[in-house]
Amino acid sequence: MSARARIDSMRPKRPGSTRTAPPRMPDLYPTRGRYLPYIAFGSVGLLLMLVGFGILRSVWVLGEHDPAAWRAHLSAYRHPAYIVFHLFAMLAIGWFGLRFFRLFPKTQPPKIGPLRSPPEPVLLAGLRTAFVIATALVAAVLGGAIG
Amino acid sequence: MSGRETKTFVVTRFDPDRDEAPRTERYEVPVRDDWKVLDALNYIKDEIDPTLSHRWSCRMAVCGSCGMQVNGEPKLTCKTALREYGSTVEVAPLANFPVVRDLVIEMEGFLDKLQAVRPWIIEAKDAARREGTHRQSPEELEAFKKFSMCINCMLCYAACPVVANEPDFLGPAAIALGHRYNQDSRDHGAGERNQVFRGEGGVFACSFANECTEVCPKHVDPGYAIQEAKLLNVIDWATSFVVPRGKAR
Amino acid sequence: MKTLLLRLEPVIWPLFGAGMMVAALAYPGWLLVVGLAEPLGVLSPAALSYERALGLAAHPIGRLVLLLVIALPLWGGAHHVRHVAIDFGGIARDAWFGSLCYAVALAGSVLAALAVVRL
Repeated sequence: MSARARIDSMRPKRPGSTRTAPPRMPDLYPTRGRYLPYIAFGSVGLLLMLVGFGILRSVWVLGEHDPAAWRAHLSAYRHPAYIVFHLFAMLAIGWFGLRFFRLFPKTQPPKIGPLRSPPEPVLLAGLRTAFVIATALVAAVLGGAIG
Repeated sequence: MSGRETKTFVVTRFDPDRDEAPRTERYEVPVRDDWKVLDALNYIKDEIDPTLSHRWSCRMAVCGSCGMQVNGEPKLTCKTALREYGSTVEVAPLANFPVVRDLVIEMEGFLDKLQAVRPWIIEAKDAARREGTHRQSPEELEAFKKFSMCINCMLCYAACPVVANEPDFLGPAAIALGHRYNQDSRDHGAGERNQVFRGEGGVFACSFANECTEVCPKHVDPGYAIQEAKLLNVIDWATSFVVPRGKAR
Repeated sequence: MKTLLLRLEPVIWPLFGAGMMVAALAYPGWLLVVGLAEPLGVLSPAALSYERALGLAAHPIGRLVLLLVIALPLWGGAHHVRHVAIDFGGIARDAWFGSLCYAVALAGSVLAALAVVRL
């Protein structure tokens, strides 16, 4: 038997005539079966915020208009802890993005007013292509190959 | 009885008059190869322990009565083949629901949530008087047909992590049903329903685990209904600032 | 607080969706270059030099892109963090915790706007 759920889960407005046993959580929740990727997906939200604030810090340092400060900021990222974190974050957000693309077609109604949504396989292929192009573009621009 | 394998069923029992809390009992059942879980439960009740209480009716996955946790997953027991399982099968009442007795859960809370989305064609009679007989094209039917296939079996509620954690959440079946009516070209009640959908426990409480769709035996795809409902609700909310509200959508 | 959060949902949800999309498209590339290639010495020194970095960032398009790339994923992340907290039995504290998540996203968005203006 699984863990106890909230005592008021699915509670009726008017109580029944007999005593009920409290609800139980779904057995595999939260770390087994399909629930695990779901929890992992949500947890990447924290990484999004950390990376977002990290980019903010980079832009802020750049805005100091001090070349030495910028160089110091970049060289701080050579610390092994940062390397490990960035690698983990890159892989996790990559996985997150690909899972998001799989879920995204489900959020599109077949029609909004006169506009039709493309069929799911087309939308999925389009999103994955966009991911490859966008990642390559971002990497090329930042890496000095373009611009 | 040659050729009949024996499986052990670990069944949750609860008698509110006798038991402090639910407990389990083990039953040895000689099963036939083509049996479903429900056949074994009926065998237990008929041949071993007549005090076992469980809901069932049609035996063909259309009434929605026989939903239970089988080895930890919500299933329709009339549709779940025993040959998918090993020598031990655990049967428990649906998760996330209060338990009335043995495998029978309290479903009034579910019915309250269904009612909250006003699941009927709103203004049907007035509209028919004004506009004449409703005509609906096959394309208009396609917009909601899938969502009308729900048999109210509540497996989606047993699987949903938000139902487990948020008592006010309307839940997959109720939202899919409300969305079914919003998408029905004969209905004029989307404005009212979208207010309910934007309220406490409405569509935005859904965190898109999509377990509801995974467990649905009738391919209603409530997960899709809820995400559609979110986007259409945002559009409805945004346009409400621009378009004056009368009774229309 | 709870009512305010409910009323803001139709605004937060699209921000969250856009945030996930922007993060999925931009963050792996950013992390690959700024987080890994640069510190590991794979890039040429000119690539992320102060002059080039400032030149890219201070361009009007650069400023806009950076604002979106910082702000939108903050909303996406905040929404996810809030829901994971609820998933672990946190509905009772959602009024303040959920608000805190969005307040952090809002603060980050304001700082992002300041950061790109002062470039």
